[in-house]
This record gives sequence, structure tokens and C-alpha cells, in this order.
Amino acid sequence: MNVLITSAASATAQIIADALAGTHTLRLTDLPRNATGDIITPNDLGHEADTDKLVAGIDAIVNIGFQGQSGTATHLIDYHTRRMYNLLQAASDAGVARCVNISTLRLYEDHEENLVVTEKWRTDPSAENVELLSAHLVEIVCKEFARDRLIQVANLRLGWPFVGGSSAKPEDTAAISHGMIGAAVNEALSTSELIQWQDIHVQSPVDHQRFITKTAQNLLPGIASELAQ
Amino acid sequence: MKILILGGNGMLGPWAVTAMKDRHDILLTDINDPHADYKGDFLKLSADDVDGVVKAAEGMDVIINLSVLRPHRQLAFDVNTIGNFAMMTAAREHRIKRVINTGPHFQMVGQQYEEWDTNLNPDMPPAPGTRLYAHTKGLGQEICRVFSKRHGIQVITLLYYNMKHSWNLGGPEAPPVYHEDMVPYSTAWQDCGTAVQAAVEVPDSRLATKCESFFILPDLPHGKFNNEKTKRVLDWVPKYHVETLWNKETRQPPHGLHEAF
Repeated sequence: MNVLITSAASATAQIIADALAGTHTLRLTDLPRNATGDIITPNDLGHEADTDKLVAGIDAIVNIGFQGQSGTATHLIDYHTRRMYNLLQAASDAGVARCVNISTLRLYEDHEENLVVTEKWRTDPSAENVELLSAHLVEIVCKEFARDRLIQVANLRLGWPFVGGSSAKPEDTAAISHGMIGAAVNEALSTSELIQWQDIHVQSPVDHQRFITKTAQNLLPGIASELAQ
Repeated sequence: MKILILGGNGMLGPWAVTAMKDRHDILLTDINDPHADYKGDFLKLSADDVDGVVKAAEGMDVIINLSVLRPHRQLAFDVNTIGNFAMMTAAREHRIKRVINTGPHFQMVGQQYEEWDTNLNPDMPPAPGTRLYAHTKGLGQEICRVFSKRHGIQVITLLYYNMKHSWNLGGPEAPPVYHEDMVPYSTAWQDCGTAVQAAVEVPDSRLATKCESFFILPDLPHGKFNNEKTKRVLDWVPKYHVETLWNKETRQPPHGLHEAF
């Protein structure tokens, strides 16, 4: 599968790219100010032909919708609204079938831990944390493209923090491992279980696990056993 | 009250100013110069200039956002989405308790609703779809909602469709077409302006939540959109019912009944 990964210079994108590299043909892109070296294609995600070229021949997009960019509040909101709109418009025009949006379970971080938060719960972003507000807004952009049946969207809300080699600390009840992130994205790209718009919550199984992952177990069968441990 | 109006020199602004100028102190802002007949305070300001909007809002009681930009993709996001972020940031910074937002009906009721359903009311979950104008305004509205919830700012959103001149029912973009299917709703410009006044002046006690939306339309017989909440909560009484748009009979009073006495 030909997969485009946005905000490719970000840590999240690199975790995902490392996981997908062996099974997919990747095209990496980021804003020109972030794109260094020869591997990442610089692109402003404007509404001109460059974005059309970027998505030509792509089967699916992995969009980093949270903490893929940094900068001022207006830059972050602009990136996660206008530029996402441009990307998805170009993608739908080019016939890209699926977008996997990488969002965050931190959209629920103000809920008490004892609550059984599922995909059916309304997200409650902070107005003060522009990164979270932007993650919320990019979800809306994606959802409206899915609602208009222009592209299928799997909205993966990932736990936090991301844990590499070491195991999660006891207080990290929403932690997710790098391995789980890669596996979840890989599954979201290929599963045939998705409807047009699908929220999926993913975190690693840890002690006092904060978020249940039944939806992920049902829709992403390749990681079901790992999630259920 | 002291009122900051953003984007006040468009089509709706003069009617809102006319409705409120003798009742409130208005600071009108826009990227374009005001009408030659406008006599009040004016500041040249773009709605998406966050620092400029914050500065202009100092000392204000209410902010009204009438700014709109439709066809250009960059500018539509700048004005319709970032503009609302600027407005809500200003309201938060200066503890302004009320914000009036305006927009098209389809920032809430996109094609998924409008082409399928009737009795559309303003308390439905927004579904603007991907049409640029609706989408960018819908994102701006969501920013208003998030800030409202977090900071207790009263947001009142007025949703319009077509606006018509009361004297011939023409609009700024098309000539009048009588006795044919009306675009789902039309409202006379004067009434569009008095709706803004009603939103500014409605007591908090009449508003059920901190974020309320209203369809601004007169009584129309088709039942497509519902204006019950607008009349009940805002106590807004439209003066014009644009009847010749939707009634094939030209109504004339019986002979001798042209005057009350």
C-alpha cells in the first residue's frame, strides 16, 4: 500500500514510519520549515497543485493530528484546520480511500479516572491548551469529510505517554508502547471492519488501565490479543 | 452597553448598527472603510488579527462578530475560523461576558440535514459538511463553544439564510423571484439587524445554557426550519414576513379597511 505520512519530522510520525516501513511504501511530508534531509518531501499543504501532486498515487494517509507541529496558537489552528482541509480535499479528489488520523486520548484527560470512557463519550478539549484544541478541530475536519463520504476515516485516539524501551510507570495508566502504536496504525490501514467514520481508542494494557479498548479489539483484530492481555 | 463589532461593514453590519446605535456605544471595526453616512467610532481591523482584536476589546461589554468571507480558501479559514479564535481570546482576556456570533444556517445544518429533514431546529448537533463557507464557520463556532464552556462566556449564535430587501424582496446577489419555491428561509434586512439587538439585550435568565443558537427567520409556512425558540427566548418579533415570496395570492385589505379608523 502507498501511504503518505504527514508531520513526518515529528516523533510520533517517526514511530509510525519505522513500524510501517517494512510492509508499505511510504511517502513522508512535512512543512518546509520542518522537512530536513532528502527523505521528507516539503509541502505547505496549500490549496494549489503541489498538494494534488503529494497525494497522487497514494492509497491511504496517516495524518498526525496531535503534536505533529509546533508554533504559535494561530499557526497550530491554521495547520489543523485549513491545511487539513486542503489535504483531505486533494486526497478525496485523487481517490485516496482512507485516512488514519492520529489523535489523542488526552481529549478526555479532565475526566476522572474511574469513569468508563469509551468512543461514545464526547471529547472535552481545553480552550487553554492549543495543541489539544487543534487535535479536536482536526477531528472535526476529518469527520465532515467522512460525513460527506469523500474519504473513510479511522480516528485513532492514542494513550499517553508514549513508552519506548522501558515499561510504563505505575502512574501512567493511559500509556501506550511504541510497538502498540505501530501495530495499531498498521491494522487501521488494512482492516475491513471500518465504517465511514470510526473513533478507536488504543492504549497498552497496564495496571489500572484508564481506557477500555474493546472497540479496538473488535475492529483491529491483528492486535486484539495484545490489547486483551 | 459598550459593544465591539467585528466585520461591521459588510451586508449585515449597517442594519445591526441602525438597530442599536441609539441604545448602545458602538466601536465598529472592519478591514474596509465604513459607509460615508456612518457617524460613529471606527477602527480598521481584520477579525483574524488576534492581538488587534484583544486590544480593541478592552473595556467592552459585548463583542459581535459579523465578519464573513466565503470563496477564498485561505481567507475563509483566516476570517471564519481564526477570527472566532481571536474574538474568544479577547473575551477571555478582558472577562467579557457576552459574545454574539453570526453565520449561515449551514454551519450547523449542512446538506446532510437540509436535504433530508424538516422541522430543523438550532439545538441539533452541528453537521456543516465540507462546503468551504459552512465548514470554516462551523469550526469557528466550535471554537466559540469550547471557550464558552471553559470560561463561562455567554455565546449567542444567530444563523441566517437569505436576506432580502423589505421593499422589493430582492437580495444583494439576485433579483427577487416571486411565487416560486423560496430558498428555505429568507429574512428582511431590518429584521436581521433587530435580531442582533435582541441578542445583545436578552437577559441571561432567559438563556438555558452558556452557548445558544438561533435561526433568524420570520414565520414561514413550510415547516422546514423552526423559529419557535428565537421568538420565545429572544423575544424577537420580525416586522416582515416576505410573504410574496411564498404566497401566490397578492393580499389586499378589503375595501374601506386600509386604516384602523
